[in-house]
Amino acid sequence: MKVLMISWEYPPYIVGGLGRHVFHISKSLVQKDIDVTILTFTDGSSPSQEEVNGVHVVRINPYSLRYPDFISWSHGLNMLMVEAASAIDDFDLIHVHDWLTAYAGIALKHIKRKPLVATIHSTELGRRGSLRNDYERHIHELEWWLTYEAWNVICCSNYMLREVSGNMSCPREKMSVITNGYEGGSMGPPAPLVRKNYAQNGEKLVLYVGRLVYEKGPHILLEAASKLKHLDLKYLIVGDGSMRPYLVDLSKRLGISERVYFLGHVTDSELATFYNWSSAAVFPSLYEPFGIVALEAMGAGIPVVVSATGGLDEIVQDGYNGLKFMPGSSDSLTYQLNRVITDKALSDWLVGNARQSVEKYSWDSAASETEAVYHKVLDQYEKSSWKPAV
Amino acid sequence: MKPVLHITWEYPPYVVGSLSMELRNTLVPLAQQVPVNLVVRADSDETAEIDGMKIFKVSQSIKSSPHVLAYAHVLNIDLVRGASRAIYESGGASLVHCHDWISSLAGVYISSNFCLPLVISVYSTELARSRSLSTLLSMGIFDLEKHCLRRADVVVADMSLAESLSKDYGVDPGRIFPRGGDLLKVYNRWAMR
Repeated sequence: MKVLMISWEYPPYIVGGLGRHVFHISKSLVQKDIDVTILTFTDGSSPSQEEVNGVHVVRINPYSLRYPDFISWSHGLNMLMVEAASAIDDFDLIHVHDWLTAYAGIALKHIKRKPLVATIHSTELGRRGSLRNDYERHIHELEWWLTYEAWNVICCSNYMLREVSGNMSCPREKMSVITNGYEGGSMGPPAPLVRKNYAQNGEKLVLYVGRLVYEKGPHILLEAASKLKHLDLKYLIVGDGSMRPYLVDLSKRLGISERVYFLGHVTDSELATFYNWSSAAVFPSLYEPFGIVALEAMGAGIPVVVSATGGLDEIVQDGYNGLKFMPGSSDSLTYQLNRVITDKALSDWLVGNARQSVEKYSWDSAASETEAVYHKVLDQYEKSSWKPAV
Repeated sequence: MKPVLHITWEYPPYVVGSLSMELRNTLVPLAQQVPVNLVVRADSDETAEIDGMKIFKVSQSIKSSPHVLAYAHVLNIDLVRGASRAIYESGGASLVHCHDWISSLAGVYISSNFCLPLVISVYSTELARSRSLSTLLSMGIFDLEKHCLRRADVVVADMSLAESLSKDYGVDPGRIFPRGGDLLKVYNRWAMR
C-alpha cells in the first residue's frame, strides 16, 4: 500500500504536536510495510528530498512567491505541493493532517481520483472560541471542506470526535478515534544542565510545556503561582508564542517574576533534563484536543496536574494517574498543585499509576488502527465506480 | 481530436465583467469546429450541453475569504474538481485553455498532472490594473500571475500587453498569440492527439 501523507509540519519544522504526530505515525506505518511519502514544508534549510526512517520526505519551499498574510502563505505552499505531486510515484490513498494542507489533499483527490483520509488535530472554532472575521471563517470552512471530502476522518480523542461531528456536521459513520502514542526515551539522554541555575536546594520545580497562546492557558498557571508564594517553588515555562510578552508582564504584576523562567523552545534532551528535575507538570489548557505533552510527563515519571478538558480529561483519571482541575480556574489549580507538591505519598501514587497508564498509548497501536482505516477506505473505494478512467 | 478543456470563473449566465460575454462570443463558434468542454463556477455541481459545448459546472465550497487572492485559490480547487470530472468523463482532453488569472491555477494543476499543453488567455494584468505593486496583496497576485504564465505553453493576449508580459512577467514573446486571432491555429499546433 502506498500512502501520500501531507502535513505542513514535519521535523525539523515543528510548531506543535502535529509535527511530532506525523513523524511517529509515518515511522510506525513504514514498520508495517506501508510505503509512506510525506509532502511537507521547508524554509530552505532542510533537504528537498530525503529518506527518514524509511519514510520518503519531499519538502516544498514556498518562498519563491510573496504573500500578504499567513492564509495566502499556506495556499501558496499547497499550490506548489499540488504541482510537485505530479512527480511523485503513484499512490493508493492521500492522508492529510489539518486545514493547512486541506487544499492540496482535496485538489489531488480529484486530480488523481484517489480516496482521501483526514486527521483533524484541532479546529479553528475550538482554538478561537468563535469565528469573528473572514480569516477565521475561511479556515473554519476549509476544515469543514476537508471533513466533507474525506472518506474517513480521524480524531485523536472522543472529545474531538464530538467537536468535529457537531461543528462540521460530519457523519459519525465515517469518523474514527485513534489516540496519539507515547514513545518512552524518545527524547534521548538528558542534557548536562545545572539545576542550581534554576532552583536552590530545597526549592521545587514546576514544569509547563506548550505554546504560549491563550488556548493553552499559561496565564492560569501564573495566577495559581501567585497564590502559592508560601511554597518554595520555581516555574519552568517551556515553549513560545504570541502571548509571551503578556505573560512576562503578568508575572511581574503578580510579583512572581523571580520564580518564573521563560525558556522558549528547548531541545528534546534539555526537556528530558527538566522532566527529571521537576516535582510536577501542569497543563492548564482551555482547549486541548489530545495533550501529548501530558503523556510525556507521565512517562517521564512526574505527577501531572491538568485541566479537565478535551483529551486531557480522557487521559487523566483524577486522583489515580494525575490530578484534574476546573478549566480556567486558578483557584482550582492552586488547590491541586498544592496537594501534589506537599503530599509525597500522593505524588508517588500518581506517578506509579501514570507510568502504567501510558503503556496503552503506543505509536505501534496507533499505526495499526490507522492501517485498519486505510484498508476500510480502500475497500470502499474498490467497490465504488469513482476511479480514474484515463 | 479530444476535447479542448476551457476553464473560466465566469460564463453566462454568470456575468461579473466583460469576460463572460466575450468568452461566449469566442467559444460558441469555436465549438462548431473542435469539441469543447467548459468548466465554470456555478451554484451546484452539474453537467449540461449548451451552445454545442459540454459544460461542467462546479459549486463554490468556500463562501468566506479574507481577500481575492484567498478566494482565487479556493475557487481553483473547485475548478479542478470540475476539470478532473470533465477529463475522466470525456476520456481525456487535448489541451487546457484557462481564462484570466483567477482561473489559471486550475489549468496549471491539470496541465502538470495530466501532461497536457497549457494555454492561458490574459485579459488584463495586476500591473495594468493597479499600475504599481504598492501592497503585499498586489504583489501576491502579481507573483501568482507570473507563476502561472511561466507554465503556459501559449499566452493569448492583446498585443498592447505583449511588452509588459515579456518584460515584467518573463513570457517569451514567441509564446504570445494575439487575442482575437484564430485559436484553431494554436490548437492544431499544440493539442495532444
